[in-house]
Amino acid sequence: MTCAWAESRKRRRITIPEILKDEWFKKDYKPPHFEKDDDVNLDDIDAIFNGSDDHLVTESKEKPASVNAFELISRSKSFNLENLFEKQALVKKETQFTSRSPANEIISKIEETARPLGFSVQKKNYKMKLQGDRTGRKGQLAVATEVFEVAPSLHLVELRKTGGDTLEFHKAHSSLNFSNNLDILRNLNSHLLIGP
Amino acid sequence: MGCFSSKVARQHQFPGYEDPVFLASQTAFTVSEVQALFEMFKIISSTVVDDGLISKEEFQLALFENRKKEDLLANRIFDLFDLKQRGVIDFEDFVMAMNVFHPNASQEDKLTFSFKLYDLDGSGYIERQEVKQMLIALLRESDMKLADETIELILDKTFSEADANQDGKIDKSEWQSFVGRNPSLLKIMTLPYLRYIYIYTQFDHRYTYIYTFKRSKGSLGITCKVAST
Repeated sequence: MTCAWAESRKRRRITIPEILKDEWFKKDYKPPHFEKDDDVNLDDIDAIFNGSDDHLVTESKEKPASVNAFELISRSKSFNLENLFEKQALVKKETQFTSRSPANEIISKIEETARPLGFSVQKKNYKMKLQGDRTGRKGQLAVATEVFEVAPSLHLVELRKTGGDTLEFHKAHSSLNFSNNLDILRNLNSHLLIGP
Repeated sequence: MGCFSSKVARQHQFPGYEDPVFLASQTAFTVSEVQALFEMFKIISSTVVDDGLISKEEFQLALFENRKKEDLLANRIFDLFDLKQRGVIDFEDFVMAMNVFHPNASQEDKLTFSFKLYDLDGSGYIERQEVKQMLIALLRESDMKLADETIELILDKTFSEADANQDGKIDKSEWQSFVGRNPSLLKIMTLPYLRYIYIYTQFDHRYTYIYTFKRSKGSLGITCKVAST
């Protein structure tokens, strides 16, 4: 193991994933446990996915949850005092965008894009849980998605990081934000800036 | 030179200044957190006029990093911070308002604050017309264009859910039930980071920064940046 570390640049150094797999390293190794972010509210996600019904409906004839006027109004930049704290040193853990595509299509597109990126996908009634398969800097990246109906044929898509590294969420979000495919109207609150 | 200025000197420079120990006893903040809020207050209140008070313009600069033209929603949040209704926010107002956003503040306080936020004319009712005005302001801010019929549909749906006695307005108890069924409506009333702030201050010739770091996550930094004018 130490020889592998000491490799000069001429030859390849051992990588972190390889170290994690190495028998010598694994002996007595306890992987770090990253606490779930305590500032992300997951009650609504948990409520849906912890239901006794394990057969997740992939094609739902129901409509997505409708957004009421106050939910829209509360998304105003004026009412989000987080903005008093400088955005540039903070990667947002939540992002949203609007789309005129049908809700089913939005869900399918997200799934189509997420699977090749290595995410496992759980769907239930216009909410989705995406779980990354690779262990990143802070455990697996997990993203919760929900589609809301603002008006007939106008939907709001919300993406929330629920586990893992926020920088990785930013990268994943950039891949998932396929504006060409989904005819995105605009991003509400689209400031995603990378911190140090 | 002592690191604690006398209260009298502070009050001269910052009208409405209150002792951090006193403010901490009245709020969910610790003394050092109140001191951190004071650092933030000093910067925000000095950007346009260095008078120890936050004007509407300075508040907007802090929130949006630019001077917005008259905006309904931005005015609303300012009005609620302006506890004494004098057109400026002093330090005590600032701390008392921020306290409502603390994770440990009561649901009752958050409910009351949000009700007052949406009750534009302070009549004690959130009227349909008021919700329409705010919705239009939000749409304008986001460049979303919705037909008037669509807006009316959204309002119909909202009021059929929230306005239990169907009198065209939402009273405090209807608001309470409505929020009870839709708890995410109070999400904007909590700033989780308020639980973990302390100060590091650094000066740069162009900007003044406050760095406040979450204690439990060392490498994540949040800064309050206000451009110097």
